[in-house]
Amino acid sequence: MKARTGYSTSLKQEFLKKWIKGIRIYSNFKKDMNILERKKAIKLSADLAIASTRNASTRWSRTLTANISKNETNKIFVEQIFSDSEVIKKEAPSRLMARSNRIASKKIWRRSHITQIKARKMGPYAVKARSIAKKLVKNRTKVLKSLVPGGENMDGISLIKETLDYIVSLRVQVDVMRRLASAAENSTRLGLSSKCSVHWLQGIFTVLDHWCAMVH
Amino acid sequence: MQPAGRELEAMNINSLLNQEQSLQEMHNHQNGQPQMSSHFDPVSSHDDFLEQMMSSIPSSNSSFNWDVSSVAGRADHAPPSSLLSQFDDQSAQLVSKLRQHQISSGATKALMLQQQLLLSRRLAGNGLQSPTGASGGESGLLQMPISLNNNGEHTDVVDGSLQSANPANDTSMQSLFNGFTGSLGQTANQSQHFHHPQNFGATAAPSMNQQAASGSTGGGTPAQPRQRVRARRGQATDPHSIAERLRRERIAERMKALQELVPNANKTDKASMLDEIIDYVKFLQLQVKVLSMSRLGGAAAVAPLVADMSSEGRSSNGIQTASSSDNNETMTVTEHQVAKLMEEDMGTAMQYLQGKGLCLMPISLATAISTATCRSRNPIATSTNPLLSGEAGGPSSPSMSVLTVQSAAIGGNGVVDASVKDATSV
Repeated sequence: MKARTGYSTSLKQEFLKKWIKGIRIYSNFKKDMNILERKKAIKLSADLAIASTRNASTRWSRTLTANISKNETNKIFVEQIFSDSEVIKKEAPSRLMARSNRIASKKIWRRSHITQIKARKMGPYAVKARSIAKKLVKNRTKVLKSLVPGGENMDGISLIKETLDYIVSLRVQVDVMRRLASAAENSTRLGLSSKCSVHWLQGIFTVLDHWCAMVH
Repeated sequence: MQPAGRELEAMNINSLLNQEQSLQEMHNHQNGQPQMSSHFDPVSSHDDFLEQMMSSIPSSNSSFNWDVSSVAGRADHAPPSSLLSQFDDQSAQLVSKLRQHQISSGATKALMLQQQLLLSRRLAGNGLQSPTGASGGESGLLQMPISLNNNGEHTDVVDGSLQSANPANDTSMQSLFNGFTGSLGQTANQSQHFHHPQNFGATAAPSMNQQAASGSTGGGTPAQPRQRVRARRGQATDPHSIAERLRRERIAERMKALQELVPNANKTDKASMLDEIIDYVKFLQLQVKVLSMSRLGGAAAVAPLVADMSSEGRSSNGIQTASSSDNNETMTVTEHQVAKLMEEDMGTAMQYLQGKGLCLMPISLATAISTATCRSRNPIATSTNPLLSGEAGGPSSPSMSVLTVQSAAIGGNGVVDASVKDATSV
């Protein structure tokens, strides 16, 4: 597979930059937030940032950005962040529908034909076992579809591909956020930043400056 | 479940081998059948038997499959001697069946068997006697197993090998190659190469009988490349089964990639792999949420985070029972209150909680207490539980893993509400 370590480092840096940019804009946008709003701001910026690293090439990133932009207040925020406007393309729904229809008809034929044969040859137990297994897989696929943003009307193959990409991005997100969080905590301990609950942004930016100094 | 389990393995090899075994057994049954004119009919009738055979694969083959798959993984190494003896038997069987089958019907089946024979001969290390025609073919065949792994590139490589392998003067050899191309093309581009096997099958039929003699002179050989050859069924009847097979291959391929990514993914079953994937995605999403709270917000209050999460969980899952959602409501309210209080002064927050009979404690401590005392009852009534109990029959392990997630993410500095049911256990 691709050299994941090298690939992720640049990805991490890109994510970090975008995330911090988002946070700054948000804080300029709205001073004095309480804890819940802060959390929301952070999470929002993080999600937007990680989705934008994909440049709308994957389904989940597009869906994520679209979902965030649905909210009116967020929309302004989003537009401000991405002044280089991201084109949120959606696949032509007609193509999707046609494809799923084709697949559905194939499946129906196949199911009727093959289960007939199997019921005749394999005996009741094996058929049942197989159908149970299929049901399990189907249920779990449904759950997975609900987890991955934009996974609802995707077929099995592309779903797994999207999941793969999504998991990679989530890992990057978690990694960067965790590092920033621990760095912030360390800086608090070392007294680099003032009382966090009020000047939390200052704390973050101090940390960031230190970090960037280290990296570059 | 055996066929299903095999089928779902990421190794195409195994499914191929199953089919081969079943094919051999099928030949036994079909000795008396009259020769069919077109080669579509026999294959369609073969399908039924094939299904039957696939379901009743003898268990002794399973070990064989595993050995072969491990051997196939390292194509350079010579198979161990025990395997060779196995292979010898198999290929001897194969040869005899090939002859019978050629006599009876099914040019395509014969094609496949011959290909298997040739390939197996090559991979025995070329040390065995083989007809001169076969040796020329082997160099060409060399490229084929390698190319098989890359869908869509078959045709180029195989065509190249076809050109290079022309020293195979037997027309039968060429037809074999063509048939092999056809079968490869089946797996790669169903629509495009669907015509090829028809043509090649027709040309191969007359030359088959010649080959029978030469094929029988070859000694026993390993069956290693047999796994690459497939799509006997798909060759004939319907694009449906081909498409189905293609789809399954693709899924298996992707699953394999996912296996490397998701920890704890040594499961070969599709359903359990999906389960692991789901758990992992949930875990990561939870981590993101937790991290967006912890430390950055100052007073690392998990409670509102968790309240948010449970409310989100409720909306997305929609499986929550009425009782648990009631619990959620009260918890949410409490947590919001606590969060507000924490903003100002930790002391007041603590007092508020104690008034409710709750206490704040580090997560690691909470975990320790829960594992020590209340393992049987649905352990810590943290607000993460409503989210988890929404899972249909979720085992206790997810709840524990979520707790450890929190403790890992927050690193002991975070807090969690623990509703203390037993005053003594505080």
